[in-house]
Amino acid sequence: MNSLEAIIRELGRAAARARAARYAVHALVAALAWVAMVLVIARLTPFEGRALVAAVGIPVVLAIAALAWLIRRPSAAVLMRLADFRLGLKERLSTAWERRTESGPLDDVQRGDALRQAAGARLATAFPIRVNRGEASMIAILAIFSLALAVLPNPMDQVLAQRQADRLSQARAAKALQNAEKKVADSSKPTPVDPQVQKILKDAAAKIQQADSPRKALESITPAEQQLQSLTDPGTPALSSSAQNLANALSATSAGRTAAQAITSSPAKGAQAVRDLASQLQNLSPKDRDELAKALAKAAQQAQNSQMRDSLGKASSSLKSGDTTSAAQALNDVASQLDSLQQQQDTDQAVASAINGLESARQELARQADRDAKGQGGQANAGAGASPGASPGAGASPSGSGNANGNGNGNGNGTGTGTGTGTGTGTGTGTGTGTGTGSGSGGSGGSGGTGSNGSGTGSGSGAASTERVYVPGQPVPGQSQNDPTPLGPGQDVPLSPYSQVIQAYQQAALDATDQSLIPGSERDLVRQYFSQLGEQSAAGPR
Amino acid sequence: MIAEEPRVDAARVTDLAQSLEAELARLIVGQQALVRDTVIALIANGHVLLEGVPGLGKTVLVRSLGETLSMSFSRIQFTPDLMPADIVGTNVIGDEAGRREFHYQAGPIFANLVLADEINRATPKTQSALLEAMQERTVTVGTQTRPLPSPFFVLATQNPIELEGTYPLPEAQLDRFFFKLLVPFPSERDLLEIARRTTGGSTPQLRSVADAETVLAAQRVAREVPIAEHVLLYAARLIGATHPDRTELDSVRRYVRWGASPRGLQTMVLGAKVRALLEGRYNVAFDDLSAVAQPALRHRIFLQFEAEADGMTADRLISEILEHTVKEPAKA
Repeated sequence: MNSLEAIIRELGRAAARARAARYAVHALVAALAWVAMVLVIARLTPFEGRALVAAVGIPVVLAIAALAWLIRRPSAAVLMRLADFRLGLKERLSTAWERRTESGPLDDVQRGDALRQAAGARLATAFPIRVNRGEASMIAILAIFSLALAVLPNPMDQVLAQRQADRLSQARAAKALQNAEKKVADSSKPTPVDPQVQKILKDAAAKIQQADSPRKALESITPAEQQLQSLTDPGTPALSSSAQNLANALSATSAGRTAAQAITSSPAKGAQAVRDLASQLQNLSPKDRDELAKALAKAAQQAQNSQMRDSLGKASSSLKSGDTTSAAQALNDVASQLDSLQQQQDTDQAVASAINGLESARQELARQADRDAKGQGGQANAGAGASPGASPGAGASPSGSGNANGNGNGNGNGTGTGTGTGTGTGTGTGTGTGTGTGSGSGGSGGSGGTGSNGSGTGSGSGAASTERVYVPGQPVPGQSQNDPTPLGPGQDVPLSPYSQVIQAYQQAALDATDQSLIPGSERDLVRQYFSQLGEQSAAGPR
Repeated sequence: MIAEEPRVDAARVTDLAQSLEAELARLIVGQQALVRDTVIALIANGHVLLEGVPGLGKTVLVRSLGETLSMSFSRIQFTPDLMPADIVGTNVIGDEAGRREFHYQAGPIFANLVLADEINRATPKTQSALLEAMQERTVTVGTQTRPLPSPFFVLATQNPIELEGTYPLPEAQLDRFFFKLLVPFPSERDLLEIARRTTGGSTPQLRSVADAETVLAAQRVAREVPIAEHVLLYAARLIGATHPDRTELDSVRRYVRWGASPRGLQTMVLGAKVRALLEGRYNVAFDDLSAVAQPALRHRIFLQFEAEADGMTADRLISEILEHTVKEPAKA
């Protein structure tokens, strides 16, 4: 050995190797302990991304060990002392190193003696590479323990799957609201309430996504629906009914037939036709005027809207008295009210579209909440539910007879069961309403679910109804009425077509079940009940 | 060249020690540790208190050492009626060119090697006459202080069992002794050898292997042996551990009344330096300190009465201290 520096270098290398091995073993123990700890925690509490966290811990631990290895390098003095201690050099090296710059009477002799002794010793053996038996045992135990934790089934997996399904469900529900919002935004008939509708949908979507669970998310649906409902004009059905009655009355007259068709087609067209009729009053024959006055009087009598009734009455009386100017003025008022009706219907249309989106979201969340309640959250995607047919004009099932020009709402409920052989059964039910210029019936259908192992599909068909069933109540906002709404015998409450109110009834019932924390199975009964009503409605006339 | 001289001197010290030990071994049977510690004390320029029952060869050892060293040797047999003047000398009236005047009559203390046999039999007053001589290496009689010859080496003996009519050495006196050596009873094999050597027709004649100058040179060289800081720190820790208020050992706290003085540290370090040279090394090792700890500290640790009642000795406490004091705190 030439010098103390050379000894230090050799000792430093040997110590670095030994320490590297020791730190590596420490790091391995720490990494395995980390993995085991993460896996244990993942068995006690739902821990998403546990594999990632466990995996990330390994390089982190190794990096820390490397850093510690780099930082905590022993000084030369310590190396010398340890070499003395472990090689039995009787403090020769440490004394020589400490006094390497001294020039006492015996210092040179001492350094020479130290170098001689060091030359005869295997310095590297002062820092052997060895693995502590305890640490080796610990590594083996931790490795086996971690492997067992990783391989054995984890009861928290089901919880995690349920959470994931919840999130997916909430995302789908939020997506449905976003689609509805987009639909409102892209509507060809913008209304003043569109920004409000969009904001309500956006807020609802945000709440749904932020909710802790589908059940919590459901709680944000009804308030949103109520906000949307508040945007509609409650007088619209009465005005609409009055307009329809007007159309019916005018259709019996030669002068007003065109206007009747226009009113039936749309209030806006009807308004223009009524204005045209008002401008042509002077040109009508007395017979036509009389006939028109009677029709207007009849319409006024049936009108549920007071303004419409007054305007129609005034037009009728003015026409009877030959005052065509006043009659024309009154008909222009009627036209203005038809314009107003058109705007209200557009608003209702937007609100209805938004409510359809909310309903889709509700159904999605309700299904997931049911699965959660049954502990099947982890298989949310296995038993797919019905896909609602909720878009206007698209609600008709393949077998339905929905009018392409009409508006349709469809709801579908489907259940799927599967067997191991890969066969499944599915049922689907749907209800729909529609208005249109033609036969004016809407069909809606839903597609059934698919089984987890097999597949099941169901389809619901909404056949065009030929017989109208009227019940007390208001039609669903935004839906046009195909038929005039008569007053029942001895009733002062207007009757609405059964097919138009069934959704409102169903909605109210489902809202009540959602908000009262009724078990999912009970809610299914309610849903099934309305689904069967929908089937019956579609199957035959009432 | 400057570095060469100490090398020669250091080797000479080793040779001196080996020669002394070899020569003494011709007469002293066994007792290698005793001889080694005595030689260490000699080269460290310290005094030795030998304690042992009669007949173990204490006096023979000292007398033999005197024979192997070409130095003046005197023996003082301590008795209760021994007076200080009998040791350090006194002024006496004499004729000097027809005039009667006082002149100093030197005592037996004026020798290179002084054997103070059965030192605990003298009164404390007489024992204290040695204090100045042992520490200052001077003697003051009347108003005049006279230096003692150099080297000056006192070997005192005492008998631990015949305590009647003895005066235990005071602490201050004990602290003056570099080492307190216990003379062990010989092993059976050594006893046989003793019987053979001492009951025959001839007695080995020892030869002189060193003179005063050689010993003085060895003493100078010994002080130059380097000692590393961490080794010195270990020595200081050992001393600290003998004090009940600074130790972590329960036994020391319980049994020790007063720990070793700083002179104990000096003794340990100096003794360790000599031992290193005798081992052929030029630096002090932990082992050197451990080896000299008991002879250097056993008479400097003063025990409680409880220790005597429990059979605890200073040597056992020192062993515990050596066992529990950290030598090498660093790890890698």
